[in-house]
Amino acid sequence: MRTLTLDKAGIASTIQDGGRLGTLHAGIAAAGAMDPLALKAGQHCLGHRAGEAAIEIAYGNVRATPSHDCALVVTGAPAMLLIDNESVPMRSIQTLSAGQTLTIGPPSEGIYSYLHVSGGFDTQPIFNSRSTSPREGIGGLHGSYLRDQDTVPLGDGAPPIDNDGADPGLCSIEQRAVLTLRYVPGYQYDELAPALIQRLNGDHFEVTSKANRMGITLNGPPLKTGVESLLSEATCQGAIQIPPNGNPIVLMKDRQTMGGYPIPGAVIESDCVRLAQARPGQKIRFAACTPQEADNIRWLEHHYVETRLR
Amino acid sequence: MSFTIGPAGDTAIRLSFQEPPSPRLTRVLLQLQRTAQDYFFNALSDSVVGYATLTLFFTPLSLQRDQVTAWLEKTARSLSDSQETHAAHSQETVVLPVFYDPAVAPDLVTLADDLGMTIDALTTLHSATPYFAYATGFAPGFCYLGTLDPRLKTPRLSTPRRRVPAGAVAIADQQTAVYPCESPGGWRIIGACPVTLFDLAATPVSTLAVGDSVRFEAIDEQTYRALGGQL
Repeated sequence: MRTLTLDKAGIASTIQDGGRLGTLHAGIAAAGAMDPLALKAGQHCLGHRAGEAAIEIAYGNVRATPSHDCALVVTGAPAMLLIDNESVPMRSIQTLSAGQTLTIGPPSEGIYSYLHVSGGFDTQPIFNSRSTSPREGIGGLHGSYLRDQDTVPLGDGAPPIDNDGADPGLCSIEQRAVLTLRYVPGYQYDELAPALIQRLNGDHFEVTSKANRMGITLNGPPLKTGVESLLSEATCQGAIQIPPNGNPIVLMKDRQTMGGYPIPGAVIESDCVRLAQARPGQKIRFAACTPQEADNIRWLEHHYVETRLR
Repeated sequence: MSFTIGPAGDTAIRLSFQEPPSPRLTRVLLQLQRTAQDYFFNALSDSVVGYATLTLFFTPLSLQRDQVTAWLEKTARSLSDSQETHAAHSQETVVLPVFYDPAVAPDLVTLADDLGMTIDALTTLHSATPYFAYATGFAPGFCYLGTLDPRLKTPRLSTPRRRVPAGAVAIADQQTAVYPCESPGGWRIIGACPVTLFDLAATPVSTLAVGDSVRFEAIDEQTYRALGGQL
């Protein structure tokens, strides 16, 4: 069996693909790559199908050794790559021989990098997905974050490598003084005080270190709703949840499927990805958009990605 | 019944009824969910029933907002006005054994004290009436059950526990639930249930479903152990 051994697993590495569909009603979040564009870019390079998984690495610091020769590519947050002691570029196919060591350093910007190995990772899919949901103990190698010395099985069906497999140039990392998150108003938007909505739309917030795959907590002018809890209802990705302390949390891939805090709306998916790659300290502002505008943005970006992947 | 329809982010539509939760409302929501599943078929990737809401998640780019809203408006109105909807729903009754004992329930003694009743009175009240399953979620297999006897109404812990063991039977406000897996939690623990409520190898994976009727049955330590319960 072909395997990849993680001599060093990094602080929060998990196996992720596009996530699972249709499990919300059972209380299981979709999971999936925090940066789906970086996932797609790597799949494209290696000629993988869209369902193939990669190792999602938060803040780098991973060292891996394969049992057999393999081709790989690293996408997402740009980090220094070494094969043994030789520096190699990101986003281009590299060959790692049996026993050689790949080192992924800390990224210079962004958070999540993706290690794709030709043939994919051959772990057990749960509900048609290999994505790891650590809270539920589902998916991945053992339902949890990858640990030092873990050995991950690799797929046999390694597709032939197309040497022209170009980097499609998809990127979710944006260096901006203030990152704008477009959101669709909804949920309790109409019931919240106009002054609170004004602060949400007008003020600047900041990404805090309380940020993970479940949600990203923002600091800013406290948005006191005066509401302790509401009747539980389904949450959605990007939902801006406001707990009693007034610091909004934007819900991400591993969110709890039900929530009871007021929600003035939800950040559109395309901006959730930018937020996922934003580091603590990044300034944020919210901008309301109509559902139709959100649809148009999705169509345009879908079209852009499709043309890049040709 | 009056309701509002609006977006839940960029790929979901949310319908919210302006009325207090009740088994009747939940049955309307369940019926609406089934009708939507049949009607939208593959375009609908998931749907979740809350206490007074139904959220429909669509496959991105396949959501025709105006069409969905119009259909939902019409269907919700006719279902909520129809009487037969509510009678037609078959209801499962699930009996869950519970070991009510301070050995497995860290909040039992203080809670009985706070409520000014004996532990016996508290557990008898908790197991006296069947509960209705209003919603599932929060964690896999977690089911929100109501409505608790008003005499048992209790606030959540001010600081949630980092670890609530699997099987913990807990109450908060006017709800009760069993924690299917170990997780953080702020509800007050009054007992332990040895039955597995979430199992990936089972079909369905969750023992409890929205619309079920759930009754708790007090068991002694010996039975608890025999059923696989851990102290």
